[in-house]
Amino acid sequence: MLVVLVAPALGLAAPDNAAPVLRIGTWGGAYARAQREALFKPFSRATGIEIAVRRYDGGLAELRRQVAGDGDEVPWDLVDMTMSDTLTACREGLLQPLPHEQLPPSPDGVPAARDFIADALTRCGVAHTAYATVIAYDRRAFPGIRPTRVADLFDLERFPGQRALQRAPFGNLEWALRSYGVPAADLYNLLSTRRGLGLALERLDEIASEVRWWRDGGRPVELLAAGQVVMASGYNGRFFDAVAERDAPIEILWDGQIQELENWTISAASAQSSAAWDFVRYATSTDALARFARYLPYGPARRSASARVSDHIDRGLDMQPHLPTHPRNARTRIIKDVEWYARTHDRIRAIFTQWLERRGAIGTSHE
Amino acid sequence: MARSSERPLNLGLLVLLGGVVGLLVGLLSASFVLAVFQLNDWLLISPRSRMMFEHQGWLVAATIAVPTLGGLVVALLHRLILERRPHGPPDVIAAVQTRRGRLPVRPGLISALSSLVALGSGASVGQYGPLVHLGGTLGSLSARLLRASRSEDNIAIACGVAAAIATAFKAPLAGILFAHEVVLRHFALRAFAPVAAAALGGYLVESLIFDRPPLFYVASAEIQFRWEYLLFLVMGAVGALVAVTYMQALLAAARLAQRSRIPALLQPAAAGALLGTAALWVPDILGIGAETLRFTTIADAIGSAELVLLLVAKLLATALCLGFGFSGGVFSPALLIGALFGALCGNLAALVTGGPEASMVVYAVAGMVAVTAPVIGAPLATVLIVFELTSSYTLTTAALASVALANLVGFRLFGRSLFDRQLANRGLDLSAGRSRTLLQGQPIDAYVRPAAVILSPETPLRQAILRLGAGGHGEGYLVDDDGRYQGTVTLAALEARHRAGAETAAEAREPGRPVVAAGSSLWVALEQARSLEGAALPVIERGGKGRLVGVLPEVALSGAHVETLDAVRREEHGVG
Repeated sequence: MLVVLVAPALGLAAPDNAAPVLRIGTWGGAYARAQREALFKPFSRATGIEIAVRRYDGGLAELRRQVAGDGDEVPWDLVDMTMSDTLTACREGLLQPLPHEQLPPSPDGVPAARDFIADALTRCGVAHTAYATVIAYDRRAFPGIRPTRVADLFDLERFPGQRALQRAPFGNLEWALRSYGVPAADLYNLLSTRRGLGLALERLDEIASEVRWWRDGGRPVELLAAGQVVMASGYNGRFFDAVAERDAPIEILWDGQIQELENWTISAASAQSSAAWDFVRYATSTDALARFARYLPYGPARRSASARVSDHIDRGLDMQPHLPTHPRNARTRIIKDVEWYARTHDRIRAIFTQWLERRGAIGTSHE
Repeated sequence: MARSSERPLNLGLLVLLGGVVGLLVGLLSASFVLAVFQLNDWLLISPRSRMMFEHQGWLVAATIAVPTLGGLVVALLHRLILERRPHGPPDVIAAVQTRRGRLPVRPGLISALSSLVALGSGASVGQYGPLVHLGGTLGSLSARLLRASRSEDNIAIACGVAAAIATAFKAPLAGILFAHEVVLRHFALRAFAPVAAAALGGYLVESLIFDRPPLFYVASAEIQFRWEYLLFLVMGAVGALVAVTYMQALLAAARLAQRSRIPALLQPAAAGALLGTAALWVPDILGIGAETLRFTTIADAIGSAELVLLLVAKLLATALCLGFGFSGGVFSPALLIGALFGALCGNLAALVTGGPEASMVVYAVAGMVAVTAPVIGAPLATVLIVFELTSSYTLTTAALASVALANLVGFRLFGRSLFDRQLANRGLDLSAGRSRTLLQGQPIDAYVRPAAVILSPETPLRQAILRLGAGGHGEGYLVDDDGRYQGTVTLAALEARHRAGAETAAEAREPGRPVVAAGSSLWVALEQARSLEGAALPVIERGGKGRLVGVLPEVALSGAHVETLDAVRREEHGVG
């Protein structure tokens, strides 16, 4: 049923035959809503190409299946992937290499290669935003004091109560080691040693009995907003959305935010790579990136777009101070070592899962 | 002593030279450090690269093969050096302290390259020694290109050294101080300006072009109780013992290597193989060990028993690598050994204070300083490195307390530094001060004059008296038919013996007139001249026959003495 066609150049009128459909695997929740309003709808209006959103929660399972041609699933054309997944998928041949030289320049004429921030353009990916995994807390939970640093996540004495953490090594290991005072720049070097991993898991041991593990990025926001946990890890955009749209009593602790770039990638199984590439060019243009940041505070991967980020689309509040890339928020950031994750992912996950299972005996609740 | 082709530079030009040397050395030093990191990643030495490498079997093979092959390459490179050994900081110090200057380029570059290979392939050696030597070599080279005098050559060497330290540690103040404390060993304003310019140049290159994260970032450090300063003082004294053990182990390993039946070409490879094998159980001994260094600052990251094990292992690994011919420095391993020692002290102190989590880093740093300062013989520079690396005044004061006794104890038990001891073993004793070093380094030949009156031992006394009297000379030298020196006669002795009825000049010989061998140093001549009663020291051909070469008049000798002391004074106190 898919119509394969040569995609029209950007900005041309809609094609006259049956409307093509691009299948995009992307994240859910507020993120998907923002993408729909800021990117998908305007793109379809401009090109007549329809976009079908498919739910994606990270990892490479769907891509591997689709590229191998297992089952009768229609393959996705584009996937919105984290940098570490992008690098792994690219190495495994699950993605198409991209012609970065065709990306449009900034409105001021700065070539894309210089307009994108460092490390944004990789063989199979074009980074669009820097998102942050952060620790957030319930403003009502600790009368008189507030968490100010990563170490407070592990301090059950001063900040008692349940925490919602992702059921994955990412974030937890970094913060656990950071809580010993290890500088952000040394974290992955130390996590590469038996000793470092051991220290991190020991720290997690201390709070494990108070942890509710989440898998879906919307869950920590719900738990926090409902007062079921006092602290939670999660994506900065989701927390922001809950505050901006629903006045949730949530505060983001920017200390130790872990930044990673999100990428547009084109699946090796896509039969519409030309139309897909048109979408990537559109979605990573300065205007599109600046517009997206008016819905959700994710830092645009283009310098020209960062400078153009203005107020929230309907709440009117200035979005700049909510971007993870804002200098005040980025002071103690941790840059996710995507190469490290790309190479060690399975082993780290196995170590983490083993640890979880050992903990399981003591009765950890899983979300 | 300046030759005609050498000219003194004016101070402005000298400062400019310092700045240029600083930029150049900064560029090279920073590239060197980055290259070491890159090699460690490629060759599976760094923990991160080892973690990211998936095939366990290959990893084991590489852990042994890489240091072994690295050792082989290092040994091959060292065959290209005349002395068959890498050059390092002792050569820099010797060049400056003897005012010879002129660090040779070829061994300098080869040593830098072999150190890069050694460090890159995970040998347990330091990176700052090679950088210091490379900096000094480039400084000296640039002075030669400008045909500058020896004195300025020395200053240019100090500039290179300062720039290397300033770049490697991002610490311009420590660079300046290190160059003065370790290399120049004086504080002349004439040297200070160019050295400061060089240190700044290196620092600028580092921060403008490379801008690496700080080597050893410490966010916060607290000292819980004031009395802990007393502990740091004691730690300094005990740390000096660790330092002395470390230095003795380095020297002993070198002696062991000399006696070993392993051919020199294979010695580093053998050390590398042993190191790699040991690293399968104790990976912390591979390379510079930055990760282990960081763990020492975390309370309870390493248990006390393991701290002791690591300390001993790192000490032995470094002695093995350096003793068996790897090239590299002694500073970085000393830092790690010191930090392990400091963490151990921290654990002991925790028994009293009840778990000072925040102050563990203070103990680690105090330990680092206590062990490294006696090794390099630079208490102030070491404290400043701590200050500039950490920007923490708390840590600096703790370091100061621990360094106070460290160098003193180290000096009493071992000497000023490892470098001075290595030079003493090569016959250059710096312990008696620079003027003595210079006198020892300067041959008498330029001051030797032909003997005015030469007599055959059989010359009749009457005739001898006439010969001396006619020329207005007080002394004559007896030389036989083969030209051999047979003694000295004075006019007074000749006349006295003549009155007593003696017949030949030989009978009037002065008993026990001191002589000096040709080519001896001024220092030896001065020592001989202590028992001189006459006007000159006879200078005898070295070895074999004992021919008389000439005489060294006492006036010329004392003139040379004064001249040397004056040159030192001018260099050390001069303002340009």
